[in-house]
Amino acid sequence: MLGRGLKRKLSDYEESMAGLSSAFDSSRGLPYPLKRQLVLNMCLTKLQTYKMLVEPNLHRSVLIANTVRQIQEEMRQESNQQPLPSGVGQQESHCCDLRSVEDPIENSLLIVSDDDMSSAISSILKDLDFVEDISPPTCLVPTGDDQPKFPENTGLKLEDDRQDLKGAECVFGSFEISNSTSYLKDLAIDDIFEDIDTSMYDSDFCCPPLMPPRSPSLATEEPLKTFPSCNSSSANNIQICRTDLSELDHIMEILVGS
Amino acid sequence: MEEDAETRKISSSFLRDHSYATEAADIISTVEFNHTGELLATGDKGGRVVIFQREQEVKSKNQPHRRGEYNVYSTFQSHEPEFDYLKSLEIEEKINKIRWLPQQNAAYFLLSTNDKTVKLWKVSERDKRPEGYNLKDEDGRLRDPSMITVLRVPVLRPMDLMVEATPRRVFANAHTYHINSISVNSDYETYMSADDLRINLWNFEITNQSFNIVDIKPANMEELTEVITAAEFHPHHCNTFVYSSSKGTIRLCDMRTAALCDRHAKFFEEPEDPSNRSFFSEIISSISDVKFSHSGRYIMTRDYLTVKVWDLNMENRPIETYQVHDYLRSKLCSLYENDCIFDKFECVWNGSDSVIMTGSYNNFFRMFDRNTKRDVTLEASRENSKPRAILKPRKVCVGGKRRKDEISVDSLDFSKKILHTAWHPSENIIAVAATNNLYIFQDKVN
Repeated sequence: MLGRGLKRKLSDYEESMAGLSSAFDSSRGLPYPLKRQLVLNMCLTKLQTYKMLVEPNLHRSVLIANTVRQIQEEMRQESNQQPLPSGVGQQESHCCDLRSVEDPIENSLLIVSDDDMSSAISSILKDLDFVEDISPPTCLVPTGDDQPKFPENTGLKLEDDRQDLKGAECVFGSFEISNSTSYLKDLAIDDIFEDIDTSMYDSDFCCPPLMPPRSPSLATEEPLKTFPSCNSSSANNIQICRTDLSELDHIMEILVGS
Repeated sequence: MEEDAETRKISSSFLRDHSYATEAADIISTVEFNHTGELLATGDKGGRVVIFQREQEVKSKNQPHRRGEYNVYSTFQSHEPEFDYLKSLEIEEKINKIRWLPQQNAAYFLLSTNDKTVKLWKVSERDKRPEGYNLKDEDGRLRDPSMITVLRVPVLRPMDLMVEATPRRVFANAHTYHINSISVNSDYETYMSADDLRINLWNFEITNQSFNIVDIKPANMEELTEVITAAEFHPHHCNTFVYSSSKGTIRLCDMRTAALCDRHAKFFEEPEDPSNRSFFSEIISSISDVKFSHSGRYIMTRDYLTVKVWDLNMENRPIETYQVHDYLRSKLCSLYENDCIFDKFECVWNGSDSVIMTGSYNNFFRMFDRNTKRDVTLEASRENSKPRAILKPRKVCVGGKRRKDEISVDSLDFSKKILHTAWHPSENIIAVAATNNLYIFQDKVN
């Protein structure tokens, strides 16, 4: 399978990260896209670590998620300016990878990663929403007055974010349907497992395959983790646990477009 | 406060470093003087509260320089670790904040809170006890009534001073998220507690109900982009309070306008400086503390690199900005990586609102005089200050040649952070918490 053969040890990764962050701080020579990718990797690593915690720190998670969204938006605007995902833009993001891999599949994974990130953030924030919080949300979408005035140059727009998130979910919604319909017929376990909350077990299961986060490998893992949030039926969680390997191959085929 | 051109005349008188060993449970997590400054309370990570009391000043010819020193007055376990069985979470016993109530009788009252529960504690003295009961021995054993031949009236006799702390109210189960602030209202009947997304208003007498006055939780948690980081009541107007956010904004609310104060009366935000923009701009703009001035005219906010003073009448920018440790601006990526960028520093006013103080790394803390615009960096450490010694100003060298007494940015110890400080309400006495040590500094007499 794609990500497995080329893993780095976590300690090597941490060392290289420490080296990179001081390089970021000290050197002005690092190209901007590389800096951005570095920050993005750090953010995603942290979010990943927090997701493994029983009770992640809401304040930090929100700050990091906002940073990721901001970078994501910037990258999206840049890729909009470059209509074809080939040549220079890709080369630059290529050299940002911690490993140098020339595989074309990697490239396509980088493109998908935007939506994956949105879904990753969504799923993390959703998990932070405690089920037992009974008090009804009295304020809905912030009104115009309450909405903080964003400085113009952040480029963040709430409406776009919502569109992004919805778009991301739709993307994965369709994935989920197409991939799992064949399995639904085999397993008539919806009723039995409907009321069991297996979200804790999901994250436990998904942890081992998650090795040193570099965004492409995260991109492959994130679809698995977002399935629970996209579809409320817990039966699918169990399906996914059983079938993730073949799922992943299936996803790869779709991405590569064969 | 008198200030020399180069040095600040502050003498350090050491608190008896209490016998706390260097354990994580002893890390001081909050420091607060009471309204007269006679008492100083500290809370730690182990859920304990230690109250220090100032000695009565003895003006004698033998010891002209003796000022009242602070000695341990009372120690009690305020919060215990709890386990939330429903969510399988452990609730930390760490004391996040302590706030004193103004004194109304012989006893002292304070509020202490951990992540989930606020408690009202009564601290009272007992220095007399009744002796000479008829039906009881001195040991407390009951006497046989048929054996009593003589009646006597019990009398109060002096005993060794005993300070007891009793929990009078427990305000629980009102916060889903972690409580970061509590603030006593100027009406002395209500107080508020703020967590990441909500603020509740309590009456001291009622523990099973609270009013929710601010709720910024979105209907869909995926849309969450901002959390509440601190909140405080106005010192004089019991209907007004402010709360700060992780986006660097402050909202002032008036409770008279609506039951749910989601619509702010004033909104304080400084436009971003485009030349300082970085990936970490939003993270470092998150406000970690907000404090009203004693006069009630200004608010002070602390974000990662600066302290800002705002005039309540001007919302579009602060009136003063002070750089606490701007040399860290070029280290943000490393500080992000080791999570130091999320450290929450507090800030305090002095009694006359002329000087503000906040902490930094390497056990440094900074003071800014608002009138003279002078600032000083001091260090709270055992090695560098002996009792009664005058603190020497420190300096951080940013680049180039390092002078003899300076310390370079790369040598700073980021594990030694001063997050919590307090200033006596009327005198120049400050309390500085450096990890698990408490330092008390007084202004030099003469």
